[in-house]
Amino acid sequence: MPDAQTLWLISPELVLAIFGLAILLFAIIWRERVYGALAWVALVGLALALAAAVNLWGAHARLFAGMYAVDMFALFFKIVAPIAGILVVLISMDYLRERTRYRGEFFVLLTFAILAMMMMASSANLLMIFLSIEFLSYMSYLLTGFLREDRKSNEAAIKYLLYGAITSAVMLYGLSLLYGISGSLNLGDVALTFSKSADTSVQTLALVATALVLAGLGFKISLVPFHQWAPDAYEGAPTPVTAFLSVGPKAVGFAVLLRFTLTTLPGLPEFANYWTPLLVIISIATMTLGNLVALRQTNVKRLLAYSSIAQAGYMLIGLVAVNLGGSSPFSGLNGVLIYLFAYLFTNLGAFVCVIAIENATGIVEIPEYAGLVKRAPLVAALFIVFFLSLAGIPPTAGFVGKFFVFGAALREGFLVLAAIGVLNSVISVFYYFGVVRAAFFLEPKDTSPIRVAPLVTLSLVVTAAMVLLIAVYPEPLFNLAAWSMAMLK
Amino acid sequence: MELAIFYLFASIAIVAALGMVVLRNAVHSALSLAVVFVALAALYVLLNAPFIAAAQVMIYAGAILILFVFVIMLLSPRVDQGAGALKWQRPLAALCGLVFAVELAIVAASALLPTERGPFTPERLAEIGDVQAVGALLFTDFLLPFEITSLLLLVAMVGVIVLAKKR
Repeated sequence: MPDAQTLWLISPELVLAIFGLAILLFAIIWRERVYGALAWVALVGLALALAAAVNLWGAHARLFAGMYAVDMFALFFKIVAPIAGILVVLISMDYLRERTRYRGEFFVLLTFAILAMMMMASSANLLMIFLSIEFLSYMSYLLTGFLREDRKSNEAAIKYLLYGAITSAVMLYGLSLLYGISGSLNLGDVALTFSKSADTSVQTLALVATALVLAGLGFKISLVPFHQWAPDAYEGAPTPVTAFLSVGPKAVGFAVLLRFTLTTLPGLPEFANYWTPLLVIISIATMTLGNLVALRQTNVKRLLAYSSIAQAGYMLIGLVAVNLGGSSPFSGLNGVLIYLFAYLFTNLGAFVCVIAIENATGIVEIPEYAGLVKRAPLVAALFIVFFLSLAGIPPTAGFVGKFFVFGAALREGFLVLAAIGVLNSVISVFYYFGVVRAAFFLEPKDTSPIRVAPLVTLSLVVTAAMVLLIAVYPEPLFNLAAWSMAMLK
Repeated sequence: MELAIFYLFASIAIVAALGMVVLRNAVHSALSLAVVFVALAALYVLLNAPFIAAAQVMIYAGAILILFVFVIMLLSPRVDQGAGALKWQRPLAALCGLVFAVELAIVAASALLPTERGPFTPERLAEIGDVQAVGALLFTDFLLPFEITSLLLLVAMVGVIVLAKKR
C-alpha cells in the first residue's frame, strides 16, 4: 500500500481515475437522463486534476521503485493535458448530441485518455512508457471510431488501430532489447549501462533498440515516415476527437521522446553521430512532406491533419538542437515546450472554428467556406488569428514557439535546418490563406447566418485570447518552460 | 541433454511457424500457431521459468488462439482467398523479409547480449517458489503497472461494448 505522500504526489491521476469511474457508473445507472450532466462532471474532474497538478508544482520525486517521476517536466505536461481535456469537452457537448447515443461513455474514454497522457509524461521506466502509450492509444482508437453509424469513422478507427498495433510491436521489440542490454527497466539504469559499457556490441544493439523505440514514438507524434494514419484518422474521427488527437498524443509523445533521449542518450556520446543526422532527416521530411501535401487538400480536417504533421517537424528541430549545458535562453528543450504550449491553443482553436461551422451546417470542404465572413464573422476572423499562429507570424503564440525553436537551431549551427524550417513556414502560409481567401473574398451561395453554440463561442474566445496573450506577455510561459527543464537534469 | 531438448523444441517451433505462414487453410495455420506456442512454453521450462511457461500456454494457446479461431469461423474465409490480390506484394514482402533476416543475422553475430544474472537464480526460485516470486513483485515493485493494467482493461472493455453492442 503506497503511503499518503505517494498518493498526494499522484493526486492529479487519482482525481481523473475517480472521476472517470464515477462518470462510467452514472452513465450505467441513469443512462440517458444524465448524459447532459456527465460532460459537466468530466469538466469538474479535469479542473480538479489541473488544480492538483498546479498545486504539486515544485515537486521532485521518484515513486514506485523509481518508475514514476513526478518532476516539473512531468508537471508541465500534467498542466497541458487537462487544459486540452477541458477544451475538448467544451466543444464535444453540442457535437455529440445529434450524433451518438453514448455520450456518457465518450467522456469516460476522454477522461481516461487525459489520465494516460499524464502517466506518459511521468513514465521513467520502459514498462510504464509502453503501458501508458498503449493506454492512450486504446482510448484514441475507441474515440476515433466512436460514431459507429458513420462509415468514415469506422474506417479511420480501423486504420489507426492497425497502424498503431504494428508500431507498438516494433517499439516493444526495441524496449525488450534495451531491457536485455541493461537488465533493468528504469531509464536511469539503462543510461548507466550505456555510459559504463565501452563494448561496441552494446552500442550496436543500443542503436538498433533506440531506433525501434523511435518508430513507436514517431507514430504517436506522427513523424514521417510513421504519419500515414494521421490524415485518414483525422478526417474520419468525430471532429472534437480530431482536435484532441492533433494536440494530446503529440504533446505527450514529445514528453516521452524528450525524457527518453535526454535521459538515456548522454550515456553514449558517440551516439550523437547517428542520432542527430537521423533526427535532422526526419524533421526535414516531416515538415516538407506535411506542408507540400497540405497544399493540395480541399477538406479542412485533412488540411489541418497535414498541417499538424508539419508542426511536429518544426518541434523536432528543438530536440535536434538541444543543449542543456549553457545558460543561453535557447536550449532547444525550452523551445519544444514553448512551441507545444502555443500549439495546444492554436491548433485546438483552429479545430474549434471548424466545429463551429460543422455543427451548424455540416460543412468541412474549403470551397464551401465561401463568404464565411458574412455568415459567421467571429469564426472567420478567428480563423485568421489561428492560421497566423500556425504559420508562425507575429503577434501570435506560434511566432514565439518558432522563434525559440529556430533560435536554438541557429545557435547550435544547424543553419540549413533552420533555413528549411523558415522556408516551410512560408509554404504553409499559402494553404492557410487558401482557407482565409475562401472565407473572406469569395461570394457565398447561401447567405443565411451561422449560429454558433455558446460553449463553442466560449472555447473560441479562450483559445484566441491565449494565442494572443502568449505573444504579448510570454514571460510566465518562459519561466514555466525554464523550470520544467531544470528539473529534468 | 538439455541442449538436445532445446534444439528439438526450437526446431519444432520453427517448422510450425513456417507452417503457419505457408499453409493455405486458415484453420491449419491457427493449429500450427498453437504448436509454436506450446514449443515456446517448453523452452521456458528449460529456462527455469515454469510460471511463464504455464502463462504462455494459458494466455496464448488458451485465450489468444481461441480468439483467432473464432474470427476464422465467423468470417469463414475460402481457402483460395487472398492470393493474387496485390501482385507486387509478394516480391516486396520477400525482399523485406530477407533484409530483416540479414540484419538480424549481422546483429546476432556481432553483438551477443551482455547479460547479467538477476537476483532470481534457479536456486533462489526453488527456495521461495516461482509463482510466489512473481506475485510478490507484482504487488510491490510493479504495483503501479498492475493497477494501471486493470484500469486499462476495464475502460477498453467499456469502449468495445459501446462500439459493438446491438442498438
